[in-house]
Amino acid sequence: MKLSKKVVLLGPFGVGKTSLFRRFVDNEFSEEYKVTLGVQIKKKVVQLPDGRELSMIIWDTEGHSDNVEDTRKSYLLGSHAFIYVFDLTRKETYASLNHDIDYLTKTYPKVVAKVIGNKLDLVNEKEITSQLKEHNIEFDCLTSAKTNKNVQDFFSDLATEITKT
Amino acid sequence: MEDKDKLKILKDLLLDEEKEFTGSIAEKVEELSKIVYKKEELSHKVDPIIDDKLDEFIEEIPKTLGPTITQTLKEEIKNSQDAVVEALFPIIGKMIKKYIAHEMRLLSENISRKTKSAFSFKNWFRRTKARAQGVTDGELAISDYAKPRLIQIFVIEKNSGILISDYSPLSDGTIDKEMIAGMLTAIKSFVEDAFRGGDQNLELIEYELHTIHIQNFYSYYVAAVISGAYTMMFKEVLEDQIIDFAKNHISNKELQNSTLFTKKLKKYFTDEIV
Repeated sequence: MKLSKKVVLLGPFGVGKTSLFRRFVDNEFSEEYKVTLGVQIKKKVVQLPDGRELSMIIWDTEGHSDNVEDTRKSYLLGSHAFIYVFDLTRKETYASLNHDIDYLTKTYPKVVAKVIGNKLDLVNEKEITSQLKEHNIEFDCLTSAKTNKNVQDFFSDLATEITKT
Repeated sequence: MEDKDKLKILKDLLLDEEKEFTGSIAEKVEELSKIVYKKEELSHKVDPIIDDKLDEFIEEIPKTLGPTITQTLKEEIKNSQDAVVEALFPIIGKMIKKYIAHEMRLLSENISRKTKSAFSFKNWFRRTKARAQGVTDGELAISDYAKPRLIQIFVIEKNSGILISDYSPLSDGTIDKEMIAGMLTAIKSFVEDAFRGGDQNLELIEYELHTIHIQNFYSYYVAAVISGAYTMMFKEVLEDQIIDFAKNHISNKELQNSTLFTKKLKKYFTDEIV
């Protein structure tokens, strides 16, 4: 039987949501920054460890300016997973992270919520990890859409997790 | 005689000619100022000169300014193609509409002529049908051609936009149906959110020669892609059929099993709708 899940990429402007989306789905990366307006949708079929196939329907939403509550609610409805992305090089993109995650988990308790710190290629991993710890920021993965570091593994693990729920 | 008087006499003798000359100049200036201040007289004098210069200018424009203007226009059009299209679209649209209406009339007349000349049971039947409906044979032939047809039908989960099932009586198509389902849901959500219509739903999307009929149910919605004339009559029949399908053929079992759902959808919508 066909298996499909909706995954929504969220986070502030310019953190690299679209780059992650393109890297995962098309294995492409571009230095050129284009603002996402509204939402764009792509599909990626992922092979699960048990041999089944999962169609991940990924919604790449436009970045919010203040907090995640600015995101159009109708885009979040019916989701199976949220991926909250922040920029490791810009502190302001994780300033409201804890509040945003709190809001998401309380409003959509059944949806899996993951946090990604992107642009790992621009920072020192050890330093940034300790900095994030200092700021009390919890994350699930640090990625680089540019170098493809941890991107495929992150989405594969997420695919397995959401098919269990 | 005093020195003063002597000097005056000498001045008169020496400057007599200059005096005359000055006098004539003053007269001429007075004459000219009359002409200048009297609009009509000035116009009488100046107009022929201006006309000549203008004629010369008009004759020279294509040679002198022509290439520059053409080049500037070319560059402007090249740099603002969207603006040009935007400006021309309504005009061209009207022209195309007129042209199509004209061609359709010609086609209708042509078909009428041909069907009149041909004698067969089919033609006899068509003529009878057309007469009964009060239209020409040609109009009937065109209406047959423009008959609405179901191209594809999607059943989509309402919030997630995940495709539950789909069926196309024509072909499988090459476009990714799951992405279409997602995008349709995003468009629908955006419109319903943006205009804050409360519980109002997007029910129709029109593009070129196609119409997407959208019918909402509690947990899913049906999007039917229609080609041809989407008439009110067709809309009602389609709505009734979709309601009948949802009410009598779909249960939770089908909603959980897309293969089963697709089988039923295919069986139900294989026949023509109207």
